[in-house]
Amino acid sequence: MRPPTRTLWCLAIAFVIVIAASLASSVRADVNLPRVVIIAEGIGPRQIEQRTGETVTHDYAQAWHDIAESLNSNRADLLGEYLTGDCKRQLSQRISDQKRTRLRTEYVDNGHDVKAVFYSLDGGMMQLEDHAKLETKLFDGQQVIYTGNSTHIYLVLMTPGADRWLIRSLQEVPEKAF
Amino acid sequence: MLLTVMASYVWAQDPVLKAPGAVSAGQSVKLAVQGHGSATFYLVGPDRVLKRKISLGEEIEIAAEDLKTAGKYEAIACNGGNCSNTQFNVLPSQPAQLIFFLHPSRVPVSSGNAVNATALVLDREKNVVWSSANVNFKIDLPDGSSSTRAVPTTRGIASFAMDSRSRQGKVQVTASLDDVSEPRVIQQVAAEACGLRMTAAPTGRFMTFQTDPIRDCGGNPLPDGTIVSFTKTDSTGRSTVDSPIKKDRAVARFEVTGPAKVSVACGVVVGNELSLGGAR
Repeated sequence: MRPPTRTLWCLAIAFVIVIAASLASSVRADVNLPRVVIIAEGIGPRQIEQRTGETVTHDYAQAWHDIAESLNSNRADLLGEYLTGDCKRQLSQRISDQKRTRLRTEYVDNGHDVKAVFYSLDGGMMQLEDHAKLETKLFDGQQVIYTGNSTHIYLVLMTPGADRWLIRSLQEVPEKAF
Repeated sequence: MLLTVMASYVWAQDPVLKAPGAVSAGQSVKLAVQGHGSATFYLVGPDRVLKRKISLGEEIEIAAEDLKTAGKYEAIACNGGNCSNTQFNVLPSQPAQLIFFLHPSRVPVSSGNAVNATALVLDREKNVVWSSANVNFKIDLPDGSSSTRAVPTTRGIASFAMDSRSRQGKVQVTASLDDVSEPRVIQQVAAEACGLRMTAAPTGRFMTFQTDPIRDCGGNPLPDGTIVSFTKTDSTGRSTVDSPIKKDRAVARFEVTGPAKVSVACGVVVGNELSLGGAR
């Protein structure tokens, strides 16, 4: 039989590994949504609970799915329920302009490496820094007028709604902004 | 013949766009476009798409109205099937608005890190001003004293937590940056009751139980309406009367016909217990 102190040490080490794994884990979104990996190691002042991290990851991925769909088909109604405030207003305006000018935007979303950088103590606001790998094509009618394949950096503000997290601000920043 | 070849080369030339690296949100900009003839110009931004005919070789002016939203803008000029493009960044302008949250709206006195303040810095077009700035928080306390705390923003957000003070009353915190200031008020309320005590006195067939003035450990009276529970245990079982505090005290009446014990509690605090011998 093992000495009790050794067993206790083993249990303690196992516990630390489980805690570390759950805190440092990055959560992947559903398979049919864009790949979103959120790292929350340096976040503060509040820590993200595992369940909240999963929800934010899913809802952020769903929002990007909706953005891509709506900009490609010029349908503001597809912006869905994961965007709100100025973010939704700005994208709706862009879709309206695209429709008027016969343009559309096609995104191939190659994934988002997201750093969660701020989570308010009261849980009312979260800030993310997203490094999004996007292939972009702009069409005027059938003609491709622009193609690009690069990493875009977005500063994102999300706030909780009744049953989901919503993107309130999605602001692209220059490469070396931070 | 040579002239014709040269002319066709010149007319077939792709338009070449040149833009400044960055402009401030809400400012107009001029783009240089080289080439000859006419082309279609596009500007695609976060909330805007422009499309118009241009003459190559002339500057393209983009109005301030079309550059309000910070982000990356793609400028494209197409001459037939030949397109060229350039990018420029629209950066947030000077701080002009503060979104300020102070939580919670009511907080017990003397609680560690119980009050948290978060300020988000925006420019006049509601873009997040992500470059570093100092937000000053002025804290006005119920006793008339005040203090100031400067918190640098990180990616547009300044945040701090502080202890609630020992005296109840209103606390005003004003966040300010340059000419912008946003005040918020929260209420510090008494904490849990401290030294909860009651006394009993006969009133006809009943016994009346009354607490001493109920205060927290800092001497702050608990607000009227706070519920105090009186519980009697005797041979018939247990019965509880919930009574709100009125003018610092709570009162309850029980009919006591035999030996009984009566206890008092407020929130998580349990007060004294009285043992009674029965009706006289």
